[in-house]
Amino acid sequence: MSYAYLFKYIIIGDTGVGKSCLLLQFTDKRFQPVHDLTIGVEFGARMITIDGKQIKLQIWDTAGQESFRSITRSYYRGAAGALLVYDITRRDTFNHLTTWLEDARQHSSSNMVIMLIGNKSDLEARRDVKKEEGEAFAREHGLIFMETSAKTAANVEEAFINTAKEIYQKIQDGVFDINNEANGIKIGPQHSLTNPGMSSSSGGGNQSSGCC
Amino acid sequence: MSFLQSIDISATASGRGQLIFGDHDGNLHFIDRDLQMSSFKAYILRVTHLYQLKQHNILITVGNDYTPKNPRDDDEGINPLIKVWNLDKIDRSGQPLCSRIVRAVPGNRPTKVTCINAHENLNYMAVGFENGCILLFKGDITKERHSKSRILYESAYMITGIEFKTHTSGKPVIMFVSTLKEVICFNLLPKDRDVKTVLDQHGCPVHCSVMSDISQDNQFVIGRQDAVYFYQPDGRGPCLAFEGDKLRIHWYRGYLVLVSKEVKPSSLIGNVQSPGVHIITVYDIQNKLIAYSGPLPEVTDVLCDWGGLYVLTGDNRLHLLQEKDTQTKLEILFKKNLYHLAISLAQSQQYDQDGIIDIFRQYGDHLYGKGDHDGAIQQYIKTIGKLEASYVIRKTEGRDVDFDVQTAIRVCRQAGYYKHALFLSEHHQQHDWYLKIQLEDIKDYDKALKYIGKLNFPEAEHNLKTYGKILMAEVPMETTELLKRLCTDYKPSDKPLVDAANLDGGAPTVKRANPDEFIHIFVNNHHKHDKLTEFLEHMIKVQPNSSVLIYNTLVELYLQACSHEMEISARVEKERKTLDLLQNPESHYDLDQALVLCQMYNFKAGILYQQIVQYHMDHGEYMHIIETCKRFGQQDPNLWIQALAYFSGKEEDCKQQIIEVLSHIDDRNLLPPLLVIQTLAHNSTATLAVVKDYIVRRLQQENDQIQEDERLIEQYRTDTEKMRTQINELKTSAKLFQVSKCSICCHPLDLPSVHFLCQHSYHQHCFESYAEHEAECPVCLPENRKILDIIRAQEQSRDLHEQFHHQLERAQDGFSVIADYFGRGVFNKMTLITDRSATKSSLRQPPRPPPRKC
Repeated sequence: MSYAYLFKYIIIGDTGVGKSCLLLQFTDKRFQPVHDLTIGVEFGARMITIDGKQIKLQIWDTAGQESFRSITRSYYRGAAGALLVYDITRRDTFNHLTTWLEDARQHSSSNMVIMLIGNKSDLEARRDVKKEEGEAFAREHGLIFMETSAKTAANVEEAFINTAKEIYQKIQDGVFDINNEANGIKIGPQHSLTNPGMSSSSGGGNQSSGCC
Repeated sequence: MSFLQSIDISATASGRGQLIFGDHDGNLHFIDRDLQMSSFKAYILRVTHLYQLKQHNILITVGNDYTPKNPRDDDEGINPLIKVWNLDKIDRSGQPLCSRIVRAVPGNRPTKVTCINAHENLNYMAVGFENGCILLFKGDITKERHSKSRILYESAYMITGIEFKTHTSGKPVIMFVSTLKEVICFNLLPKDRDVKTVLDQHGCPVHCSVMSDISQDNQFVIGRQDAVYFYQPDGRGPCLAFEGDKLRIHWYRGYLVLVSKEVKPSSLIGNVQSPGVHIITVYDIQNKLIAYSGPLPEVTDVLCDWGGLYVLTGDNRLHLLQEKDTQTKLEILFKKNLYHLAISLAQSQQYDQDGIIDIFRQYGDHLYGKGDHDGAIQQYIKTIGKLEASYVIRKTEGRDVDFDVQTAIRVCRQAGYYKHALFLSEHHQQHDWYLKIQLEDIKDYDKALKYIGKLNFPEAEHNLKTYGKILMAEVPMETTELLKRLCTDYKPSDKPLVDAANLDGGAPTVKRANPDEFIHIFVNNHHKHDKLTEFLEHMIKVQPNSSVLIYNTLVELYLQACSHEMEISARVEKERKTLDLLQNPESHYDLDQALVLCQMYNFKAGILYQQIVQYHMDHGEYMHIIETCKRFGQQDPNLWIQALAYFSGKEEDCKQQIIEVLSHIDDRNLLPPLLVIQTLAHNSTATLAVVKDYIVRRLQQENDQIQEDERLIEQYRTDTEKMRTQINELKTSAKLFQVSKCSICCHPLDLPSVHFLCQHSYHQHCFESYAEHEAECPVCLPENRKILDIIRAQEQSRDLHEQFHHQLERAQDGFSVIADYFGRGVFNKMTLITDRSATKSSLRQPPRPPPRKC
């Protein structure tokens, strides 16, 4: 399927906060109460439309466990957006946000749009982290904030799409260099005039010189 | 396989029904399915690499025929020679046909071959070298002539793996290459316009890259120390964090086979590792499970054929890992209670529907056994449509004590076994479910209603509240009846008339539902208003002390009925009913609301200003009385009279109020002064001063009026007298026609001419062409006709008694209305008839009234 842009996302956060479930809800629109531990990094993709443009979201769902940190870190690079997820029923996952944020900032491009997500908003009765706290943290660190529920699908679409909108806005504002793929943005096949890979290969320029 | 023991294996390949081994003596050994070995010598020195194409019976080998003389090159592997064998053809010596022999040397410096691969379309063959070069052969790889080679890429690192992405639908051929430090993707386009994409800056050792099959989207799989990474042509894909030093990585029918050196104690197998023992682990990537894991001594290669995995170990033994059939796999999973894995496995293996249903059932049974009834039902639900519902029901019935009946009912209901569900719910007194099924699924409203009728009070009340709306919509009659019962003296319909408890001497507890709570049932149901009316009437009849809401609703209903009623008689009847209700002192309706309602429905009679005033009077709020009178006095002037009577009846001193009220009465001319005086006369406190102004003013007015009237009378008298003489003149004396001009053409008159008593004369030809009627003067005709019309209209209107009464009521001065009607001849039947006769008799004379104006 053709797209105007491709955005790479990465979902990070402590283990068990519902990263994989968020992805599953977003890509497959379903919820799995029993979900296996993510080992390494998993992958999902979905098309969305922003401003009338087809945008493909390529989402990397990382393992939250500390032991996989070195592997998942290598996926930060080349991500245009990050969903930093914590669990509103577990304060420790909220407390670890700073570490995650440092990690993300350190290993990703500086323009990466980070959205803070308080997941499991359906478990209001067991809430441990107030919404205001999440908002405050987001404000302090310049993140977008949202509370979601992968179970009820509340705000899940919005979380992914709002991030994409923010990235799209940054592209329009010229903040992102869209030709640099390290930013996690790729122009769709029909949009790119010259394939960025073409220039590095030997015979790339030969044919195009004729017409220009 | 003892014969393997003697072979010094250097390379292996498999596919197309046989295992192929190359040895260090240059021999190729083929082992077929019956484990029969055949061999031939392919190279003079040794075989180093083998590659078997999957779709063609073609084997590509790399080996050495001779060692070059150059002493610089050491003894082994240099000057490699590629041979392409067509295994289907046998040459003269009985060996497979070698269709091509080509030196594999990048540039002019020979170096060791590390890997070789060919595309299934036989048009591409790539060879990787130790020095980082990739030699790409294009064109028919089986024939020397049509193929040319070139160096595709020179890396700084050893090439460790080359894989072609097969099954690509499009034109471009995709080739993945792994080096020790890179993962690269080549997009091989025609005319050598290849596109190189570096996918990663990490590489892998030899034998640690493989192509996955279609189940994993034909991704390039790389095994590294920390994890197994998947690559797509445009970038890195997911990764699986399987730790350990990987020696070999293979792909077999959706399984990832890893041979690794050591396993951390934290991993699933806690075996103590002795040197030389390798762990072979088979992962089912799709279902996310480890299919096999076990230690084997020094694994040198893994071959896949004949539906199994053959692991070649260092002691030249072949170990067979046979994949179990799906049923066996499932059974193992069942034994371990890994049902969700079993389900996912069965689904990925395209297991048939019944089989999967059966797994759900087993899962359900398992959960059931564990006491997780809800979970069990969740699984049973998935069997709906296939599994006999009775199975579940039997299960639930048999041990209904510890089983959650609700879930069972839910299952039956979802499965469409309404009868079963109904039975269960009735049996277990799950009234709510019973009704839900009865109403929403079976839609037997009568039965549902009867069922409610049998319930005891609180349940009946609750259920009727819930389902009243549906029931009302479907069976209004019965529902209303039930409601009546419920709100008066409810007794379950199947109970004996006298309860045993009552006989015991307990006070009979009569339970009554609050009708307020049922009114909403009727809402949004316009056709059922009469039902609601009926219900509410019943309620107030039985319980006159019903709540305000009941009365209010009833008032509203009545008003609504009035406004919608077209037929007058019925309407009057309804209005009467409404008024009765409004005036009934027992009605507890809310005055304000009733007023609002009356206004809304334009029910004049009911706009109870008097009530308001009365209310204020009762409370002695003078100010408010006046206020109200001012506010509503427009609509109902009688308020002022009421107010006056009230104030005059008061013993207290309320001169101010009386004066004010009087002034209003005066303004509107509400009461004859005599009546005012009479009213005030009852009051001992009302002094003359209070009324003095009023009376003086009134008298003055009356006087003026009388004078004015007398003047008019005089005027009219003279007018009448004048007319009389005129008529008399016309009747008795002769009339002289002296007009010289024709009233139509204004030319001098000449004969023949027509003359009228109204002093109009015409030429005859003018008159005939102009006049509509020969008896009437054309000039006077319009005026006369107007007057005639008025008379006729009056004649007609005098039959309209309704209108007369209406006007009489509305008029401030009733007398003038009556006088007006007298004038029109309402009370004089003869008027126009005499006129008619007069008109007829007097030819060519204008009819009355006399044409004064001409």
